[in-house]
Amino acid sequence: MNKTVNINLAGIFFHIDETAYAKLQNYLESIKRSLTNTQGQDEIIADIEARIAELFNEKIKTDRQVIGVKEVDEVIAVLGQPEDYMLDEEIFDDEPVQARYKNIRKQLFRDTEHSYIGGVSSGLGHYLGIGAVWVRLLWILLTILSSGAFILIYIALWIFVPEAKTTADKLSMRGEEVNISNIERKIREGFDDVSGKMKNVDYEKYGHQARSGASNAAKGVGSGILFLLNIFVKIIGIFILLVAGTTLIGLFIGLFTVGTFGLIDTPWTDYVEMAAIGAPIWLLSLLIFFAVGIPFFFLFILGLKILVSRLKTIGTTAKLVLLGVWLLSIIGLAIIGIQQATQRAFEGEVVITESLPVTPQDTLYLAMQHDTRYGSGINRGAVTIKYDENDNKIIYSTDVRLVVRSTKDSVGRIEIVKMADGSDFRDARDRAEQINYKTAYTDGRLLLDSFLTSDAGNNFREQEVRVTLYLPEGMVLYADGNISSFHRSSDYYGNILTYNSVEKYLTIGENSVICDNCSTEEDEWENSTWDEETQENETPAETEPDSIFEQVEININADGVRIKENDQHTLTLNKKGISFQRS
Amino acid sequence: MKIENTKAQMRKGVLEYCILSVLRDNDAYVAEILETLKDAKLLVVEGTIYPLLTRLKNAGLLLYRWEESTGGPPRKYYGLTDTGREFLKELTYTWEELQTAVTIVTTQKNKNHE
Repeated sequence: MNKTVNINLAGIFFHIDETAYAKLQNYLESIKRSLTNTQGQDEIIADIEARIAELFNEKIKTDRQVIGVKEVDEVIAVLGQPEDYMLDEEIFDDEPVQARYKNIRKQLFRDTEHSYIGGVSSGLGHYLGIGAVWVRLLWILLTILSSGAFILIYIALWIFVPEAKTTADKLSMRGEEVNISNIERKIREGFDDVSGKMKNVDYEKYGHQARSGASNAAKGVGSGILFLLNIFVKIIGIFILLVAGTTLIGLFIGLFTVGTFGLIDTPWTDYVEMAAIGAPIWLLSLLIFFAVGIPFFFLFILGLKILVSRLKTIGTTAKLVLLGVWLLSIIGLAIIGIQQATQRAFEGEVVITESLPVTPQDTLYLAMQHDTRYGSGINRGAVTIKYDENDNKIIYSTDVRLVVRSTKDSVGRIEIVKMADGSDFRDARDRAEQINYKTAYTDGRLLLDSFLTSDAGNNFREQEVRVTLYLPEGMVLYADGNISSFHRSSDYYGNILTYNSVEKYLTIGENSVICDNCSTEEDEWENSTWDEETQENETPAETEPDSIFEQVEININADGVRIKENDQHTLTLNKKGISFQRS
Repeated sequence: MKIENTKAQMRKGVLEYCILSVLRDNDAYVAEILETLKDAKLLVVEGTIYPLLTRLKNAGLLLYRWEESTGGPPRKYYGLTDTGREFLKELTYTWEELQTAVTIVTTQKNKNHE
């Protein structure tokens, strides 16, 4: 008992036995193969189908009769084996001669008969002439190393590399010449039997044949050069494929993590939000994704095309759609870019001068302070969005520049320059005025905000603050270490502090600072090697003028609080009470 | 070298000429052309003729028209074009020359053997 299949041959309806159907299909398929390089292949196939229909029609007596293997065999006997369809090029010479050479080349196919997933690995194995096991191991390794990204390349290959369906495909997959005798041999070997399964294929044998085929091809000088060129082109193809592939994977991951779903909170997303680009972040990410991704996608296809000669095409419509999307993205990005540029065309600034009641006789302790609501560190960094005490969105930036200069005046002053960009001068100045920045001076201690804030409605337009301290000559300055990242690269503004000026007692001179408690050597590192000598020559503890600046060690734990000053006095606060110890 | 291959090549060589000759006087559809050729034992299997007909048609030597048939699929009726007739004339001339030449050569050989 057999199932039957209904087929339509040249517009005529036939019942055909399943086994006979498979046989007929294979027959037509191998004819198609042998006609690969012939003009009008489709027409010829249509003619042959019509002829088969005609022959079947003669053979069946009633409409209910089913066409079996016998009928198919008879028809094949009448029509002839696939090689009978081939026109001999030596006699009919209008076929390109190199077409024969082309067939010897190995092609990349997916070997679905030896597959675990999509047959990509075994196909690659055939192509590279190595065992599929090694290819699979490499895949696993690369997948782990790239934390899963190589899966995408696998999927791309799965989609774009054709499956080795016909005998000719299977032959060129192994690098064997596609000629009639080989196809015939394969058919006899049961290569193309009903279920389409191959019987045990002797890999060693095919591998050997492929290799000897390749070496034969390389024997002639001309074909040798061609061979090298081919390899060169393939290497370029692999390179293009890798570059484009990794870029695409990166973009893809970027799009889904940062852009669309906001899985990762990056400064970049905050920036886009604050800059008020006029487009939501997902749209902007999509635009960037398409603008960058589409060219790389075409590169990827190009790379694949170099490697896989019979690549499935993505189709003209798809290409045109992609091109259109790309152009739209570019235009969109350009509009956003121009908008942003006009929004920043003008720079405005507001100068505020505050008094700093220090005289040449005073000592000033200078430090940056931060607000614990907005984070813990005191360092210059990126612009972010924070929330103030009323849960309002604010722009938080650490773009604060500190400049210390000397003045001949008897008292010091603080000059705060707030700067911002805007679409015109007035807009820029208004925005600069909206910058919040505070300084605090109490009893010889000057604390400068390490950050500036502004209402989120003001949008980010390069808001920044430059604080210039004018200190009277002759006074002493002790700068905390946390200022170091703020006064760096401020030389342009006449900054008199240098990178190692922190945590030292410095006397302000005319446009310079004089170090009181360090050796004549300016350099810190050299200084440390001279440590002992310095200790003998100068006794830093004695020259320290004010007790607040002495070294204090504070320990707070479950037992209580212990404050130790200069290793001499200890103040302890615990359950027993307060005790003071003088050593 | 297989004798079958040589035989097949010899036959294929004259096949174009024969197809054109079959169509000299009246149009015919594929099965009719095949019948004539098979009767003359020029063709063992039918496969060869399909690519050949398409080639001749593409070269502008043949034309075809569709005709309905009773019971079977519609048939392609082939006929010669003017170029095809010219081509056939040339081929006929060449064939006659070739025939004479082959006869001369083969009989000469026979003489040498005797």
